[in-house]
Amino acid sequence: MNTIYFLIQQMMYFSIPLLIVALGAMFSECSGVINVGLEGTMIIGGFSGVLFINMFQDRLPGQPILLIALIISALSGIMISLLHAFASINMKADQIISGTAINMFAPAFAIYVARMIRTVQQIPFINQFRINKVPILGDIPIIGDMFFKKAYITTYIGFAILIISWIVMYKTKFGLQLRSCGEHPQAADSVGINVYKMRYIGVAISGALGGIGGLVFVIPTSTNFNATVAGYGFLALAVLIFGQWKPFRIMFAAFFFGLMKTIASAYSGLSFLTAVDIPSEIYKMIPYIATLIVLAFTSRNSQAPKAEGIPYDKGSR
Amino acid sequence: MDYVIEMCNITKKFPGIIANDDVTLQVKKGEIHAILGENGAGKSTLMSVLFGMYQPDGGKIKIGGREVEINDPNDANHLGIGMVHQHFKLVQNFTVLENIILGVEPTNKGFIKRDDARARVLKLSEKYGLKIDPDALIEDITVGMQQRVEILKMLYRNNEILIFDEPTAVLTPQEIEELMKIMKGLVSEGKSILFITHKLNEIKAVADRCTVLRKGKCVGTVNVADVTKEELSEMMVGRRVDLVVDKKDVKPGNVIFDVQGLTVKNKASSKNAVNNVSFNVHRNEIVCIAGVDGNGQSELVYALTGLIPANKGKIELNGKDITNASIRKRTLSGIGHIPEDRQRYGLILDYDLGYNLVLQSYFSQHFTSHGMLKYNDIYNYADELIDKFDIRTGQGAKTMVRSMSGGNQQKAIIAREIDRDPDLLIAVQPTRGLDVGAIEYIHKRLIDERDEGKGILLVSFELDEVMNLSDRILVMYEGNIVADLNPKDTTVQELGLYMAGSKRGNVA
Amino acid sequence: MNTLKRYLNSEGMESFASSVFAIIIGLLVGLVVLLISNPQQAFEGFKAILLGGLTDMKNVGQVLYFATPLILTGLSVGFSNKVGQFNIGASGQFIVGAYAAVYVGVKWTFLPGPLHCITALIVAMLAGALWGLIPGILCAICHVNVVISCIMMNYIGMYMVNFLVTHTIFDSLKNQSLPIKANAVIPKMGLDNIFKVGNSPSSVNGGIFIAVIAGIIIYILIEKTKFGFELKACGLNPDASKYSGIDSNRTIVISMMIAGALSGLGGALLYLAGSGKSIEVVDVLAPEGFNGIPVALLGQNNAIGIIFAGIFVAYLTVGGFNMQLYNFVPQITDIIISVIIYFGAFFLLFKEFIRSHKPAYSGNVNDEVTAQKESAGGN
Repeated sequence: MNTIYFLIQQMMYFSIPLLIVALGAMFSECSGVINVGLEGTMIIGGFSGVLFINMFQDRLPGQPILLIALIISALSGIMISLLHAFASINMKADQIISGTAINMFAPAFAIYVARMIRTVQQIPFINQFRINKVPILGDIPIIGDMFFKKAYITTYIGFAILIISWIVMYKTKFGLQLRSCGEHPQAADSVGINVYKMRYIGVAISGALGGIGGLVFVIPTSTNFNATVAGYGFLALAVLIFGQWKPFRIMFAAFFFGLMKTIASAYSGLSFLTAVDIPSEIYKMIPYIATLIVLAFTSRNSQAPKAEGIPYDKGSR
Repeated sequence: MDYVIEMCNITKKFPGIIANDDVTLQVKKGEIHAILGENGAGKSTLMSVLFGMYQPDGGKIKIGGREVEINDPNDANHLGIGMVHQHFKLVQNFTVLENIILGVEPTNKGFIKRDDARARVLKLSEKYGLKIDPDALIEDITVGMQQRVEILKMLYRNNEILIFDEPTAVLTPQEIEELMKIMKGLVSEGKSILFITHKLNEIKAVADRCTVLRKGKCVGTVNVADVTKEELSEMMVGRRVDLVVDKKDVKPGNVIFDVQGLTVKNKASSKNAVNNVSFNVHRNEIVCIAGVDGNGQSELVYALTGLIPANKGKIELNGKDITNASIRKRTLSGIGHIPEDRQRYGLILDYDLGYNLVLQSYFSQHFTSHGMLKYNDIYNYADELIDKFDIRTGQGAKTMVRSMSGGNQQKAIIAREIDRDPDLLIAVQPTRGLDVGAIEYIHKRLIDERDEGKGILLVSFELDEVMNLSDRILVMYEGNIVADLNPKDTTVQELGLYMAGSKRGNVA
Repeated sequence: MNTLKRYLNSEGMESFASSVFAIIIGLLVGLVVLLISNPQQAFEGFKAILLGGLTDMKNVGQVLYFATPLILTGLSVGFSNKVGQFNIGASGQFIVGAYAAVYVGVKWTFLPGPLHCITALIVAMLAGALWGLIPGILCAICHVNVVISCIMMNYIGMYMVNFLVTHTIFDSLKNQSLPIKANAVIPKMGLDNIFKVGNSPSSVNGGIFIAVIAGIIIYILIEKTKFGFELKACGLNPDASKYSGIDSNRTIVISMMIAGALSGLGGALLYLAGSGKSIEVVDVLAPEGFNGIPVALLGQNNAIGIIFAGIFVAYLTVGGFNMQLYNFVPQITDIIISVIIYFGAFFLLFKEFIRSHKPAYSGNVNDEVTAQKESAGGN
């Protein structure tokens, strides 16, 4: 039983950032803009958040500093994603290329700034954020052990983001209008919706969530930031596709991959796996191979937003 | 005289062309006002200016006597102007209700009040006799119903001025009658209607007045009751037009193309797109498949040419079974295809004319040797075709096809397909979007090919074309062939009944 | 005069000018970064970037040495762009090709003389082709997005090569692959005598010739052959190609294989260069694969353009090394390159900008007018 608790707790560390970033990608793609620059966005978000913590951790206590850092990560994510938005929406550039440019820019920028400010490229921080037990909720048998012990506040924030995303997308006027811009921008334009503005907002949301996701990724899994998020920004896109652009399916997809990743890195804690003696590199490959297999089976009936990736030109009819 | 709309001296320019040149349009309250013109006359542009999608370079617009500026569709909406576009602007995987309220959703702190919206839509639907299912997905409903959704969009926004852009292109004769009734109902409630068309029958049936545009200029405004169709037509094109095609009777030869029991499943629904269809085409014969767009014609042609596989049935060309043959094999066996969507299936716009003219034959020994292309041979051949078929271009065979006009693009496709000397020529909507000159040319070419012994399978939604060109008419309805008619023995009205499924004949 | 006018108005010139715009902006951003970091030495640093590649013959040689793998990954990305697919998997293809080549170089000592080297190159191309084949097939049969599957293959390739190196050709002291045998090293072909300073030659070798020849072969393949005709058609209009009987699935799969082979060859040329470089066992994706993207962009997906673009990006890289002598962080070069990519994505706009500022040049005015009418949606 303890193994299962351990697995689930660890899984959260891997799944929640995937979930958050994939939801961000959903907002962007549902508005019609493909954002492959999420890897870079996560790096920028993670970097600015960790830098903030690094600079202020002596002066501010635990959870509050994390919360402020999340806001900073979100803001920096928005800023870098606006570059992508400008290129894709105003300049009608190739969205894959513009996103790739961000992915190349972000680590270089992060290392550059780190070396300027701190002379080394790694930014360390003290991890004082782990909640060993949530009062009251942590005492519930089974559920308490799974979800309310050894957790981070970011986990709960992640779930909150999930629910808010679902509500916004399907119950609000904004969500309906945003989705129309990704499915049929001419229709949206003809009823007076500003497609450009909507797409900017979609990309900005993906930037914010990407930035938050970057910080959420780093916090539970290491004690420093080294200008990388190990391909999570790309895995989040796979999660989005696997989740068929719908919030709750994205959640399942994120859990699936999180589980794969957990097994890959925590297998040494699982006695029945250490017996088999599979080399560590094979474990590291598993999430990516699993992704390919899953995509091979699910891509046929893709429900991608019909107008995604195609720049909207008001003049064309 | 109080006009509800006045567009005074409107001028709108695009790079290299004046789409509207000092056009004045005046619409009275409660009238149905038609805007007549050929392709390229400036009708859609003028209406787009009125609807706020374009801004005029000169002139002014008055609504109800007051001068206004319309900068975007929102402004137009606030002024009470609504538009049903030729290509519907509906989001396919949203419901009818969502499409109607999109952009003007009733909200409570940002959350959509669906029940309120639904109640209002159902009330409007009843009042104007526009039956719809608010929870159906657009991709699942018929084109006629989609048009009703577009109309409800306008009514939901309390639009008083309703613009229809070529509304009848996708309707059966019966549905057109219904639409005319709906329009008359709307004006009796005080709405004013503008409708863009190039169809004289409809203008005569329902319009009060008509403004004719030609090449960007306004030719005049007339009372419909006071003019004949021929007079309208002359105003539209500037010269007398012969609406009848010159075709002599030729006795059909033996069967060149035989289709038996062809069935193609529909991806989305359980109904078959093409349901157990059997027919044949003889030499020296033009067989036309008539019907409203969306009744399986596209799928039928795709299955015949090999773009999609047939689920059941047999296809024989000259006695040879090509049911499972690849696209290239069919083309080489003697099928020519002038596709419905010329820019999607017929041409590679970013290739030059020469490459496009050998698109179906580049791999043959004439044009390829040991895997390498033979340039000189390709371009010499292209020059020959340009000459023979009078294709107008900027730079000859090296012209980028993208920069050619629609008519010349179509001529290029026709040149390529006819010159390959196919036994069966499949032509889908070959004259769509083309001007009268190009249409005349293409009709003549098709008849020439038929006279020389080819079989032609024509798919057309233009009833004039169907009646004038074909030797035999097959009507398709919901995937089935419901009639096999001789155009001399039938009328447009009867055709319409078959097309709407109201009548079914004995199909030989 | 008219021919000059026509030449200046041609598509090729427009493309070239667009690339130049992107480069200028990228360099300016770099200058700004330099000024922010260290204003006093900024201009020296900038001069180093701009001229570093030319300071002496050894540096020129280094430019060619670095250009070699870049030209190949650039060809890889550019080639697949022509068929309408973005090969972001060049990195994975590069490293598996590198591994295959090094393995042959270390282990297959039974091969005599030049055959050893040639076999290593061929095996590298096969390995790269396999790595390109998998995303191609997944796309053709299962409709999997090529970009995502290539990214997955990048990581799978990286981990797999790390695994294979540690288990087959491992130098545990240096945490990298073992040195290759002398026979497998690509011959210098006298280039070490031309590009040297005193007794210190640059690492340039016959590989640069192989890279240029590869570029020329790819150019001929795309522009002059039937296969190239089909490949471009698929990229420009998959529907019309299908209708003209072209099997677009087959075309995409073959193209991805060729693209993979090119990247794999790039990996081989780098690690068989005899410059002492071995495959390090680290969890880092091969950057040469990603650097192929700006090369393809600047070269406008044209094989000959890519040869020059590869040399240019290598030139910037060498300049970047020289810049480090002034105490600037090496990441500045990456920043410049990523900015160039970013602005390179605006090509369409640059082309339009150039086009709208030059006088119209066309033969038949009537047709152009009608065409514009139609594209303006007049009805």
